[in-house]
Amino acid sequence: MPVAWLVGRKLVRALLTLWFAVTVTFLLLRLLPGDPALALASPNMTAETRASILASYGLDKPLVVQYGLYLGQLVQGNLGTSFTQSIPVTQVLGARLPWTLLLTGASLVLTVVLGIPLGVLAASRRGGVLDRLVQVVGVTGQSVFVPSVAVLLLFAFGVRLGWLPIGGAYDTGVYGVAWYGDVARHLVLPALSLTLVQLGAYVLTVRSTLIDALGQDYTTLAQANGLSPRRVLWKHALRNALLPATTLIGLQLGFLVGGAVLTETVFAYPGVGRGIYEAVTQLDYAVLQGAFLLLAATVVVANMVTDVVYGLLDPRVSTR
Amino acid sequence: MSAVTTPVAALDAAVPQAPARPASATWRRFRREPLGIVPLALLVGLALVALLAPLLSAAPASYGPDVLVAPGSGHWFGTDSLGRDVLAEVVWGSRQSLLVAVAASAIAIAVGTAVAVVGAYVKRLDTLVNVVVDLVLALPVLPLMILVAALVGPSTTTIIAVVAAFSWPEVTRIVRSQALTVVGLPYVDAARLMTSSPWWIITRHVLPAVTPVVVVSVVVTASRAVLSAAGLAFLGLGDPNTWSWGRILYEAQQSGAMSSAWWLTLFPSLAIFLLVLSATLVSTAYNDARNPRARRSRTRRSTIGAGR
Repeated sequence: MPVAWLVGRKLVRALLTLWFAVTVTFLLLRLLPGDPALALASPNMTAETRASILASYGLDKPLVVQYGLYLGQLVQGNLGTSFTQSIPVTQVLGARLPWTLLLTGASLVLTVVLGIPLGVLAASRRGGVLDRLVQVVGVTGQSVFVPSVAVLLLFAFGVRLGWLPIGGAYDTGVYGVAWYGDVARHLVLPALSLTLVQLGAYVLTVRSTLIDALGQDYTTLAQANGLSPRRVLWKHALRNALLPATTLIGLQLGFLVGGAVLTETVFAYPGVGRGIYEAVTQLDYAVLQGAFLLLAATVVVANMVTDVVYGLLDPRVSTR
Repeated sequence: MSAVTTPVAALDAAVPQAPARPASATWRRFRREPLGIVPLALLVGLALVALLAPLLSAAPASYGPDVLVAPGSGHWFGTDSLGRDVLAEVVWGSRQSLLVAVAASAIAIAVGTAVAVVGAYVKRLDTLVNVVVDLVLALPVLPLMILVAALVGPSTTTIIAVVAAFSWPEVTRIVRSQALTVVGLPYVDAARLMTSSPWWIITRHVLPAVTPVVVVSVVVTASRAVLSAAGLAFLGLGDPNTWSWGRILYEAQQSGAMSSAWWLTLFPSLAIFLLVLSATLVSTAYNDARNPRARRSRTRRSTIGAGR
């Protein structure tokens, strides 16, 4: 039963967050200065198309009715129609979402794979050269602007050294197994840019929670039992230190998505973020609204999944 | 904030009119920390550059004769694809970038602190405050800022308002935990016996106690504001009539010169980096100076949440 209870609670929370995102968007669109019709349908559309779109949102009706209609449209999966491409926003963004998921996913994996060993090394040799280096890199890493890192990497490895492609997600005319290799090559620089920005905070958190864990009684007990220092560090202390560190990743998912928007813009990576950049240039409000809601839903679902998994891994969380 | 019995403080205390105030003790320790005083000097320097921009450099022209010149004696930071001097752009850009940082974080701090303190004092509001803050922090804020800025139309006022509107929950989160601790302390109960005015208790007793946490979050919020504003400008939502660091990067990207003319990216990036890094270091050093015991276990948590 506790598992079902945990999943149910997280599901309610996720739905509440989604409802909040939708309501905030609705209120912003209706209450901000400016014509709300402008945000729903383009003046460049034919008069009938425009009128039918506006009618489906019931802009002449009271705010409460409009809200109901808006929720109804969203529940049916209707995010509106792109102004510039005249096709449903879900189609425009649906094709882009996998690339964003690939980019953010790869960067999360890289962050964890690089972050845990660095944090462990820093914490186990506290005050050493490596520890100091990790702290310096950790603090500076949190201060950089994502496009700055992205352009730096692009310039160094793409333009000067010519090792990696400077933009896009794949080359045309590559098929089969080679296509996967090509996608991976295009992914390296964007994923690395996003990782470098994330890594600092993660390493510093692993380091500090691990230092806390190494001072706990159970660590002393494990040492007194004659376990090897390596076993105490990796099996006993690290396990307990990882939970707060990994919760941080959940908390930063929103920032990660923001970073992805900027990274994709630099590398012309065909994800939702690059779509946002193009929609800004063309003032395609329907796509902008859809992109926010889609990214919010992605973050909420990812958060829910990680919460449930932690709950299953760490019994303390589910009983709390 | 116990009295510190350094010899200097003891001398101060010997003079009846001048008891050692915690603030001056903090400043004395702060002054001795090179990782605090150097970044503080840098921040002051950047503020001076912004204030004195008209004296330092002519306003960026709309075009110039020498296009994409590498940094050299004529143009220290080089020129961009329209022949404009990048140094002038960076110097004048510092005005808008710092203005947005100061204005947006001031609004966010005021709103965020007010919500946190009132929420902590009035128990019935606290649940609501907590839920709203959690919800906002769970959302991807940059896409939301983009949507609003695009709808309202890019201008400096819009950017300040948008960044402030989505930054206060972070302040509330940081201040709230401290405010909750303070509200439960005996001296606040004692104050309730003295007055029936919650306003008096909040402004006289709760606010001063959370001030150190607020100071730290000013820095965090201001540097986030710089990065958010630069992000908006980089996507083309900056004020088209004013130079900002983000706009230099945006125009470099638009003109396609970003990957060949390295100086177009390097100098505005360095400006953003130096501003955010020195703000972060100042807040860490301030925290250490205020609370020397936490110094050795300098952790991320002590930077954001410590108030003991």
